[in-house]
Amino acid sequence: MWQFFLDRQPQFWALAYGHALLVLLAVVIGTVIGVAVAVVVTRQPRLAPVANAISSIGLTLPSFALVGLLLPLTGIGPISALICVTFYAIFPVMRNAVVGLQGVDATLVESARGMGMGQVAVLRKVQLPLAWPVILAGIRVSTQMSIGVAAIAAYVLGPGFGAWIFTGLTQIGGVNAEAYVLIGTLAAVVIALVFDLVLLALGRVTIPKGIRA
Amino acid sequence: MSAEAAAPDAATSDRAGWRDRITAEALIVLFAIPVIVVVGFASYAVYVQTSSTYADDVVVNNALGYGTIVAQTGEHLLLTFVAALLVVAIAVPLGVVLTRPRTRFLAPPVVGVANAGQAAPSVGLIVLAAIWFGFGFWTAVGALTVYAILPVLANTIVGLQGVDRTLVEAGRGLGMSSWSVLLRIELPLALPVIMTGVRTALVLLVGTATLATFIGAGGLGGTLQTGISLLRYPVIVWGAILVALLALLIEWLGRVLELVARPKGV
Repeated sequence: MWQFFLDRQPQFWALAYGHALLVLLAVVIGTVIGVAVAVVVTRQPRLAPVANAISSIGLTLPSFALVGLLLPLTGIGPISALICVTFYAIFPVMRNAVVGLQGVDATLVESARGMGMGQVAVLRKVQLPLAWPVILAGIRVSTQMSIGVAAIAAYVLGPGFGAWIFTGLTQIGGVNAEAYVLIGTLAAVVIALVFDLVLLALGRVTIPKGIRA
Repeated sequence: MSAEAAAPDAATSDRAGWRDRITAEALIVLFAIPVIVVVGFASYAVYVQTSSTYADDVVVNNALGYGTIVAQTGEHLLLTFVAALLVVAIAVPLGVVLTRPRTRFLAPPVVGVANAGQAAPSVGLIVLAAIWFGFGFWTAVGALTVYAILPVLANTIVGLQGVDRTLVEAGRGLGMSSWSVLLRIELPLALPVIMTGVRTALVLLVGTATLATFIGAGGLGGTLQTGISLLRYPVIVWGAILVALLALLIEWLGRVLELVARPKGV
């Protein structure tokens, strides 16, 4: 297995890069969309449960089904994979952002307004920083999920280690099948752990001092 | 007199209890899913009855015919429920063991390992299982079970830890054995949290069972796979829609179970 790895090192690193980049892009786009929707939704208390219900239903859809639905629309390739992974990345962030923003003490918002801050300033300087730890927890969940979805999206030729898993599947019985699948799967786990550590470190740096646990 | 004063209170708190018991979100989901599912299956039936693509293309006809779809749905549900039963049978006792005073110290490492395992892509686990144990139904059930243990295990631990210690003390003080405290106080109080974990596991299972077709274990993923490999868009789209509808139905079932299983006083 070690020899197998050494023989395919360039390909391995290309897949690692593709997998990580796909997840990174999806999580960044998903976070922007999720937080934006949450900001809009928390202005209207009636909309919050609707948004949460949509999150629940969205997360229910099997990723293989979404891959299928996207195929006629965006064809085979990385774009389909990116859309698919982003779709799932949105919901955990959105749900946590709704919870986080709703949890901000209304008196703090009042006093910020009283100090003369505009709505945008209140959002940027008070609400989002206070909700950030909860949002970040959502981002961690999204990232873990995205890594698994990215592997499935490889069925429509998305980038990443899913390619090796499906190669191994088609070669079952062959000498290299196990190595392809095992290395592909373990590499995805390692990517997940690295991302999680990076996000933990990001939390250390970005969570405001006053509310650090 | 005090009883009279308490009566209206009890009535209002009962109503408030019903409100607390079901969130607005759960209410929307509980009503929206049946509507989506009925409309979805009705559209599929209309498609099969009326579309000329369905009538003319043998591949589409075979893949989307009632016979194929019903058989695959049956396989899919069997995979999901057998795995779910195994998950509960393994995760709940394990959660109980990991919250007992003598073995509590094992909880963080076990949950840590389970967390890391959850990070493994589901498709990788299923294909690996097929390489090690051969193709087929039980291999798929095994891989699915491993994959869905974490939510139930984590929620069992959290639920049991959340039980008020004074209630356990009171039960012991009444002369109950630790077994009957577990069965009659701790588990009933932890049940709502455990059921949320079971619902999460069910949804995870029904989604992941879509991949079982890769290792010859059947399920609705088969239609999708046929559609993708033979590039028939109607088969791909209807396969995806039917899988999604089944997943929604399972989510709905999980929500209903969650409501029904909740003990009255909680």
